Amino acid sequence: MRKLSCALLALGVLFGLLTTGALAADTIKLGVVEPLSGTFKDIGERYLAGVQYAADEINAAGGLLGRKVEVIPIDSEVKPDVATRKATKLILKEGVNFFCGGTGSSVGAAMSALMEKQGGLFFTYGMDAASLTGEKCNRHFFRPGGSTDGRSYALAQWVVKNGYKRVAGIAQDYSFGQEAMAAFKKKLKELDPTVEMVAELYHPLGTKDYAPYISQLIAAEPEVVFTSNWGNDLMLLLKQGKPMGLKAKFVCYYANDDVLIKGIADDEAVIGSIGAEVYMLSIPTEANKAFVKKYHEAKGHYPTWLIGKGYTATMFWAEAVKKAGTTNVRKVIQAWEGLSYDGPAGTWTMRACDHQAQVPYWIGEIVKENPFFDHAYVADATMIPAEDVAVPCEETGCKAMGK
Amino acid sequence: MRRRSGNPGSVFPGIALVGGLLAAPLFLPLYHVNLLTEVIVFALYAVSYNLLLGYAGLLSFGHAMFFGTGAYVTAVALAHLPGLSVGSAILLSVAAATLAGVVTGALLLRHKGSYFALLTLAFNALFYAVATKWHSVTGGDDGLSVNRPNLDFLGVHLDLSDITTFYYFALITVGALIGYCWHFTHTAMGRTVLLVRENEERMKFLGYDTNISRLLLFTFTGALAGCAGSYYALFFEFTSISAISIEMTTTVLLMTFIGGTGSFLGPVLGALVYTLLHDKLSDITDRWPLIMGLIFIVMVLYVPGGLSGLIVSIRERLAGTAGKNAAQPLEGRKP
Repeated sequence: MRKLSCALLALGVLFGLLTTGALAADTIKLGVVEPLSGTFKDIGERYLAGVQYAADEINAAGGLLGRKVEVIPIDSEVKPDVATRKATKLILKEGVNFFCGGTGSSVGAAMSALMEKQGGLFFTYGMDAASLTGEKCNRHFFRPGGSTDGRSYALAQWVVKNGYKRVAGIAQDYSFGQEAMAAFKKKLKELDPTVEMVAELYHPLGTKDYAPYISQLIAAEPEVVFTSNWGNDLMLLLKQGKPMGLKAKFVCYYANDDVLIKGIADDEAVIGSIGAEVYMLSIPTEANKAFVKKYHEAKGHYPTWLIGKGYTATMFWAEAVKKAGTTNVRKVIQAWEGLSYDGPAGTWTMRACDHQAQVPYWIGEIVKENPFFDHAYVADATMIPAEDVAVPCEETGCKAMGK
Repeated sequence: MRRRSGNPGSVFPGIALVGGLLAAPLFLPLYHVNLLTEVIVFALYAVSYNLLLGYAGLLSFGHAMFFGTGAYVTAVALAHLPGLSVGSAILLSVAAATLAGVVTGALLLRHKGSYFALLTLAFNALFYAVATKWHSVTGGDDGLSVNRPNLDFLGVHLDLSDITTFYYFALITVGALIGYCWHFTHTAMGRTVLLVRENEERMKFLGYDTNISRLLLFTFTGALAGCAGSYYALFFEFTSISAISIEMTTTVLLMTFIGGTGSFLGPVLGALVYTLLHDKLSDITDRWPLIMGLIFIVMVLYVPGGLSGLIVSIRERLAGTAGKNAAQPLEGRKP
């Protein structure tokens, strides 16, 4: 009898060894939910390039927990139902636990809910809506990146630090634009009550002619104009502003975009504008310089903006998995909470109370001469420390993190 | 098509189908069970659309407004009414879609043909605009996530968050509804709709108020679409503007055309083929809508009866009774 049980035990151990062997040869799969077709294809592809580069770098250094990271691109079409359908397929068919994405807050909200139900983990580097780590927060959703609150706060800090007193704002008339403007105004008031908001304009998404808005701005005589516009709405606003005689500086959410500046094709229209981001090509840290150099050597182009954001967030996630020592989602969540990561964009710390990474923001002014491009681009970035733009835990509206 | 006379040869495939669907979770992997649930939800939506298009001959580009209304009502109701049961959420959706059907139908059905079709398009755009702009209720672009409650009904407790359980829940309830639709097409009311399509003048002379028949049918199909929308919200556990967008109308149009407007179960087949094709094609290429579009064009040009029409004509050819208007809707067609 004893012989038999010994034999069984040995067999069990052998079997166990064999299966762990098989598992070790397995990959860690990371589903990247981005628009890879349609209008926002370009955005999605740049994010994906950043994530892919991070995975390549991890794999070249021996992988994560001894396993290779496998990036699975998922075309979300920026539709929540499409994204969740495809993600569900990967979860059920291939047992994928980790997902990330950067485009479309609605996709983020849907993925967040799906992760909670399926026990996966989603992190975003580009979905900025504050509510994702606010009222809609849950333990399976992480944001190693910026938020509307943080970005608006950083720009408000910059405005006050530089002593501007007359400020105007222009934003797209929908939830995102309103949220961004509200946060900017709130912080501005808090930092310096003497700063005056001389104009606050909202225009429909996809406006082509900014003349009526720009003349209102000129009439209000601001020193700086805040805008959270993105895409075409930012491009046309900048393009039409200066030629019409608007002298104020633009302080923008998304000005540090080489594709945008190239698209405007008029350096004079953008020089002097300010951008705020969690990652910029021109961050003057040694870590960033090394990253930029290595990336440029490997790919032949620079890891601007979205690429850098996707890369940094993915590296941060990898740190969490490394710390957890397992791909068990619950353990990774625990490991990530409170974890700090020194990356190219400074020190990022994942806050446990809402899973919003506390990150420094980088502010850069667009100048003509830069080491990266023929056209104008952001100059050396200055840092706004994470604690200056932090939203206190009690104010986020996140209640789902109870242990 | 199955006829009501109990021909054992035609009943058998039906039994096999029902048996197969009931046993599906036993042999299919979980992912396919999930996919099949989606097929069931869209089958109801497609059947409702076909009642409008195939039976009443009304080409609507606005069916998504009812589908979306159903989806949003379910999402909003479950978010704001704690303890609301699944059944009540679905019923609320149906009620809202019915109301939407009566109101829009009363306005839309004054027009016929392409005027009607274009107006439905305009109304759908109106509903879409409301969903996008009314941010405080619908969540705008961000959408709403839905918490699927468990089922407590007559002492039965079911955990609907389980994929297989939800599959059975959808299969049985939606199956019963589709069965009811089948029955509806054989009622006097169902026949009236068909006859109005064929010869409205004559029906008027016979003393029917054809406007009322059309409005009733329009509202009925709206309610069904609303119900499908409710299941959609429960299935995806999320409602976004894509549920009420024009694309949701084109989806059902494609399903109905692929399956065939000529038979009752055609759209069900269409929903199955569309969903599976979508699933497979989007794996292979990001340009799957292009392929879908090509399939649609080919279907319209060469197989106007859809897949079901194709099946019927093949079967008739095999049986040696070819040439009997396989593509025409219903055996109940009167001269």
